[in-house]
Amino acid sequence: MKTVAGAAGGFAKEFTCLRRGAGFGILAFILLVLLTGEVAWAQESAQSAEGDNGCLVCHGQEYLGSVEVDGAAQDLFVGPEAYEESAHGLLPCASCHIGFTHDNPHQMVTNAEFFAETAREACRNCHADQFEMYQQSYHGELSRGGVAGGVLAPGCTDCHGMHQVQRVDTLEYRQDIQQICGQCHGGRTDTFLDTYHGKAITLGREASATCVDCHGSHFILPTTNPMSTLSEANHLDTCQTCHPDADEGFTSFLVHIQPTSTDAPLIVFAVAIFYISMIVVVFAFGGIHTLLYIYRGLKNGLYFGKGGHH
Amino acid sequence: MAAGTDALEGVRLVYRRFSAFHRFNHYLVMISFFGLVLTGIPLKFKDSLWAEFFMGLIGGVEGAGFIHRVMAVFNFTYFFLEMGYMSWYVAARKGPIFGPDSIVPSKKDWQDIKGMFRWFLGRGPKPRFNRFTYWEKFDFWALLAGTFLIGGTGLMMWFPEFTTSFLPGVSLNVALVLHSNEAFLATGVIFIFVHFFSAHGRPESFPADEVIFSGSLPLDHYIADRPAEYENRLRAGTLDQVVRPAPTGPMTRVNSWLMVVFSAVALFAATYTMLLVVWPLLF
Ligand code: HEC
Ligand code: HEC
Ligand code: HEC
Ligand code: HEC
Ligand code: HEC
Ligand code: HEC
Ligand code: HEC
Ligand code: HEM
Repeated sequence: MKTVAGAAGGFAKEFTCLRRGAGFGILAFILLVLLTGEVAWAQESAQSAEGDNGCLVCHGQEYLGSVEVDGAAQDLFVGPEAYEESAHGLLPCASCHIGFTHDNPHQMVTNAEFFAETAREACRNCHADQFEMYQQSYHGELSRGGVAGGVLAPGCTDCHGMHQVQRVDTLEYRQDIQQICGQCHGGRTDTFLDTYHGKAITLGREASATCVDCHGSHFILPTTNPMSTLSEANHLDTCQTCHPDADEGFTSFLVHIQPTSTDAPLIVFAVAIFYISMIVVVFAFGGIHTLLYIYRGLKNGLYFGKGGHH
Repeated sequence: MAAGTDALEGVRLVYRRFSAFHRFNHYLVMISFFGLVLTGIPLKFKDSLWAEFFMGLIGGVEGAGFIHRVMAVFNFTYFFLEMGYMSWYVAARKGPIFGPDSIVPSKKDWQDIKGMFRWFLGRGPKPRFNRFTYWEKFDFWALLAGTFLIGGTGLMMWFPEFTTSFLPGVSLNVALVLHSNEAFLATGVIFIFVHFFSAHGRPESFPADEVIFSGSLPLDHYIADRPAEYENRLRAGTLDQVVRPAPTGPMTRVNSWLMVVFSAVALFAATYTMLLVVWPLLF
């Protein structure tokens, strides 16, 4: 609305030469046109999420971004454009918010936790394969058992979001994966991002590996589990999906090491420490030498051809 | 300073320091080193805001990887040319291997280092240098050793499947750590602390030393900068091997222009690297 008023203000200035009454008349007319345009646009986008049961007429308004529900501030805003662009842009809201109807949208909301549960569980109705795999994975097992080490196991919406579910075959999503896993596996993510694979995917090389190319996305298991994509038996196959010529030796490449930590293999640690020391010593010596040389050069007036050479 | 003239019996004389072969090799070093730094460093400093921007300019990670490999071939070329030259020099006894004119470090270098620091602090005269100063020797040997290490580890990463057909996979971890750090060390030495300072920043060559492009420098400049070599040659009567009339003709122009162009590229490359290295430290 601010932009509408701003534009109208601009127009108003142009009409100052007209008589006041006429000016106001025209201003009112422009405002009317702009406002109806705005309303028409809002309706259009609300309807374009085909069969969204009209939910976006209310939930597409930004002022629903912070409402108080049972005394707690909640974000009830669902961006119409972002929703439309998401992989679910054509789904009616009620495909996940089962039971919400146009006639009485919120009869379900008697129990907020129940509604949320329903929405989260809805994924499986349409993505049964992913759900099955997830159930058997380590994350799935954890989600039934609850908490491990103070971190919650990720559910579908932790990795995909709820109203802005991205297609997974894009570069952007492949780049996001590292951050998604990184919310809970920060250390592993940092080490991975220091390898060639991690740098290359960060800087936009789509063909490089992401966490899930090695670990799997839904059927993630500890590497000690024989079924893991990185178990002794499967490790090489996993690398070979992108490195067809690799053989057994390839698999002892370490993806998650911090070269300057004592957990790293001794040779890696030694090389890293050697170089850090070299860099410090050489740069310090070079820096001091350079500064002193410049100092002497200036002091003796050698720079601009004045003093001779000594 | 580079344009200085010396009227010795009416003829402008110059001291010839680098042969065509050495100048050609230096071009290879410059081109390949700039190319490798420009395409390698953004990967190392991927967290800098600039990394993505520069990567975009040089064709994304794939494009940069390709240029990096082409430049690596240039790099190997100069390495093998230099090794070949050095072997030939030694085998054919083209000159003494040790001694004042040699690139091999000697006891005098250590005395020169101490002498320079005394001079810096105003406690003595500036040391009288031979043909190569200690920092030039350091530059040369560090680059040669660095090229060997960086080239070897680069090849390992270029062909990881081949490497691990006879080495354990962890060798690739070592290769990355070594390549990445050696590259950073070399970049600092060349761009900031040693080489560019020697060629542009120190008073004797400020604002730029043309010798590696033209091959020669004015006689007066030579005598002032390398007095020990000059005196040795004067005593031994070998001055005529290195002193000749100043070259004339269009090549002198071309050399000056090349110097300007490469200095500009060098300035750009140094700025580029500083942006990548310093930025993530600040933001
Ligand atoms: C007339 C405006 C309006 C329409 C239409 C509407 N809602 Fe709402 N909705 C609200 C308001 C206001 C709230 C917050 C107040 C509340 O909880 O009663 C809300 C709350 C919600 C909540 C959150 C409840 C909670 O406690 O966290 C969900 C989920 C929801 N609506 C889904 C829908 C769906 C799905 C539709 C379409 C079938 C829909 N809404 C249509 C206005 C509307
Ligand atoms: C792909 C399934 C899915 C679709 C489609 C969907 N939602 Fe949701 N919605 C969810 C999930 C999951 C939650 C979060 C439940 C929780 O709290 O964990 C949610 C929560 C909400 C909330 C509560 C506030 C919040 O952000 O937590 C509102 C309001 C809401 N949805 C509105 C809508 C509207 C309007 C549409 C249609 C434009 C829609 N939803 C479509 C899955 C969906
Ligand atoms: C730990 C994070 C994570 C969890 C939890 C997760 N996913 Fe995924 N999901 C991913 C990733 C990453 C991809 C992309 C896979 C790829 O690129 O190979 C993906 C892909 C998908 C796809 C696209 C088709 C495919 O299999 O590639 C669907 C559909 C999907 N997930 C649904 C779900 C559902 C439903 C759940 C809950 C049962 C779920 N996901 C849980 C990370 C997760
Ligand atoms: C009503 C059925 C339905 C429900 C419920 C549903 N989805 Fe989807 N989902 C779809 C459809 C249809 C697509 C689009 C597939 C396409 O375009 O190829 C899709 C696409 C996706 C994709 C992108 C797949 C790709 O190939 O890139 C992901 C990820 C995804 N859904 C996750 C979820 C999650 C998480 C939930 C639960 C919050 C959920 N879906 C609930 C039907 C559903
Ligand atoms: C919401 C938090 C969360 C997210 C997001 C998450 N995980 Fe996990 N993950 C966990 C927890 C908690 C465990 C159990 C840790 C334990 O047992 O020590 C776990 C365990 C694992 C394990 C088993 C090995 C181990 O550490 O015990 C692997 C492998 C794994 N996750 C990979 C991933 C990958 C890959 C992603 C991204 C696609 C991901 N995780 C996203 C929370 C998360
Ligand atoms: C190139 C393949 C590869 C990629 C990409 C990769 N990993 Fe790993 N990851 C491994 C291997 C191999 C191991 C087992 C060796 C080890 O513990 O370091 C492992 C171990 C792990 C573990 C511990 C599992 C266990 O069972 O102990 C976690 C958690 C993990 N990775 C998370 C991640 C996350 C998060 C990412 C992305 C940021 C990622 N990984 C990317 C190969 C990979
Ligand atoms: C999704 C594809 C993909 C997977 C899976 C994958 N890589 Fe890579 N990897 C790449 C790409 C792309 C490159 C870059 C190759 C190039 O530029 O020639 C690369 C390069 C490498 C390099 C060379 C760069 C360096 O850091 O030295 C190594 C080593 C490597 N991968 C190891 C592995 C190992 C070990 C695995 C299995 C655990 C693996 N990769 C799995 C895509 C993958
Ligand atoms: C001489 C032959 C060289 C070869 C064969 C070579 C090869 C490689 C390869 C294969 C990579 C992995 C990334 C990629 O695939 O693009 C790489 C990375 C890199 N190279 Fe080189 N390179 C060489 C010389 C140099 C030199 C001289 C420098 C700079 C002084 C340099 C700087 C870098 C840097 C900074 C990286 C990124 C390392 C990291 O990820 O931290 N390289 N090189």
